[in-house]
Amino acid sequence: MEITLVTRDGEQLQFPCAETDHVLGAAEAAGFFLPAMCHEGTCGQCRAHVSSGDYKMGQHDPAMLPAADPAAVLLCRCTPQQDMTVDLPYDRAQVLRYRVPVRQAVIESLEPAWQGAMALTLRLQPDPETGAAAEFSPGQYMELTLPVTDVRRAYSLANLPNWEGRLDFLIRLKPGGTFSTWLGEQAEVGDILTVRGPLGSFVLDEVSVRPRCFVGGGCGLAPILSMLRHLGDFQDSQPTHLVFGANREAEMLPAAEIDALRAALPQLGTTLAVSQPENGWQGFHGTAPAALEAYLEQAGEAMDIYACGPPKMLEVLEELVQKRGRGDRLIAEQL
Amino acid sequence: MLLEEALALGRLNFTVMEMLDAANTGTYGVPAPTNVRITPVAGKAILVSGHDLLDLHNILEAVKGTDIKVYTHGELLPAHSYPKLAASPNLAGNYGSAWQNQQLEFAAFPGPIVMTSNCLIEPQPMYRNRIFTAGPVGWPGVRHIADGNYAQVVQAANALPGFPETLPEKTILIGFGRQAVLGVADKVIDAVKSGSVKHFFLIGGCDGAAPGRNYYTDFAEQAPKDTVLLTLGCGKFRFNMEDHGTIGGLPRLLDIGQCNDAYSAVQIALALAKAFDCGVNDLPLSLVISWFEQKAAAVLLTLLALGVRNVRLGPSLPAFLTPNLLNVLVEKFGIQPITTAEADIAASLNRSAA
Repeated sequence: MEITLVTRDGEQLQFPCAETDHVLGAAEAAGFFLPAMCHEGTCGQCRAHVSSGDYKMGQHDPAMLPAADPAAVLLCRCTPQQDMTVDLPYDRAQVLRYRVPVRQAVIESLEPAWQGAMALTLRLQPDPETGAAAEFSPGQYMELTLPVTDVRRAYSLANLPNWEGRLDFLIRLKPGGTFSTWLGEQAEVGDILTVRGPLGSFVLDEVSVRPRCFVGGGCGLAPILSMLRHLGDFQDSQPTHLVFGANREAEMLPAAEIDALRAALPQLGTTLAVSQPENGWQGFHGTAPAALEAYLEQAGEAMDIYACGPPKMLEVLEELVQKRGRGDRLIAEQL
Repeated sequence: MLLEEALALGRLNFTVMEMLDAANTGTYGVPAPTNVRITPVAGKAILVSGHDLLDLHNILEAVKGTDIKVYTHGELLPAHSYPKLAASPNLAGNYGSAWQNQQLEFAAFPGPIVMTSNCLIEPQPMYRNRIFTAGPVGWPGVRHIADGNYAQVVQAANALPGFPETLPEKTILIGFGRQAVLGVADKVIDAVKSGSVKHFFLIGGCDGAAPGRNYYTDFAEQAPKDTVLLTLGCGKFRFNMEDHGTIGGLPRLLDIGQCNDAYSAVQIALALAKAFDCGVNDLPLSLVISWFEQKAAAVLLTLLALGVRNVRLGPSLPAFLTPNLLNVLVEKFGIQPITTAEADIAASLNRSAA
């Protein structure tokens, strides 16, 4: 069978795929490395839309396919029954020509970030094949595998690409979660994790001239921090606003962090929103979407809105953007 | 009136190329025939692309005393023929080909990349962090080096893997600027007079990705063995890795240099015309020029301003050349759009026989 993948920017990728093979694997065999993670039909990273051709879907988690699109597939579980044309929800630039590197990294530090969240710093171990550098685009994530397990989790990088191999993460401690439990109870400085990446297409459109607004809550701040640090590093001059949401004040981004961002990016405006504040909270009282709505009411021209958060928050933001009707663009990453 | 302005631009460009030639040869010495390695050597590596010899010089200074190897790419290939640059033990060879292949070639390069003045295509995620720009080049979110300080490029080279092994040595011969060619002018003139060299083809200009550019590969391959191929610009990568043999003790393929070394090519043509006591247009020389962007258009205007006729232009003509304009170029300057390599070679040889 002949498979044609059509990227969001209209590029076509063609390759053969046997009736018994999965489209994702056939793409990789042809040298096209598509965004994907679990390869088991459970993470939803390889979701795409079939525009023509019959196919079969192997075992997968139906929750990963939107009910509204009957032609949605997970390419890691999709086998062709005819020649197929498949629309990919990302640009050609996100399709890599090489397998994503898998490397070893050692825990360098592990500290509480704020209530219920840890700041984890890893150092990539130099090896002859990949060197020592931490190369990624601000907004991307790495997949971490716990020592001697198959437990894999994806976390966004909060720092900037660097030549020293440093990887900073903000990780929410989920009560009872496998990774959280390990991180909270067992992990020690010096432990070695397997890291695969960089991955993900949640990155800045730096060619756009629109004002930028970043919306994040909790650990959804990590990729946004990386993007803001990058804009500061490059002395970007476009109007930039950050809406940060937390349930309680104790979960709020530390003031020193905000000061550091503003020192590098003087035009940065901030709305700090707390939905269940104690008495005396001076900032916005409400959720991150409500804070964004209030901000957009007084904002003029069309904006690029970068958001990272749970699916529900992203749905609300999408409605907000539609309602405002200014042609804002929502660039989102689901937590 | 407009035509006069355009030709004035061509004359101005001639002066500019003359100044650039004086600056490059004055600073780095007169280009000499040089074998350039085109296979990698094991170790940390930096790739420098574009046209700017000064940027390359600054990078070679920055890695002085280290084991880091510096490779040229695209239009910087001729840098190896300048003695003062070639003297650096860090300058290891040329990697890759012309600018339009950069996305594949840069992605596969195991070290930082510096793009000096030339066409930069959207840097791909695979190498976006390790590409740097210098001079007039820039891209949002890509680090720009404005002060000639390449310390962070050296840092990147040390952090990146470099080439794991040394591949068997392969070389190509370059460095036939006007001094090298005119230095053997006697041999060249004898070869023409004795009939062992029937014709000269200057196949050069800018390369691009569009189909139809195989014409230049075909042209170089199909040109009879008793003809000499001169080349310049990045169009040469269509055929410069092949062995074209020798003729009368000279290599059949003579690489003059970068596109702006069209200055050198003109000097060669003028000197040969003088030796043969004829005009440039009477020499057994055909110019087969590939066009891509404004730089090539400026060089073409220079040739026209100097009265060079019968230039074959391709692979497709610039969109701004309306049918009326093209007629003017055809009638006044004998510009010829290309047809097929076979037919154009035959037509050129007939002209020289006539």
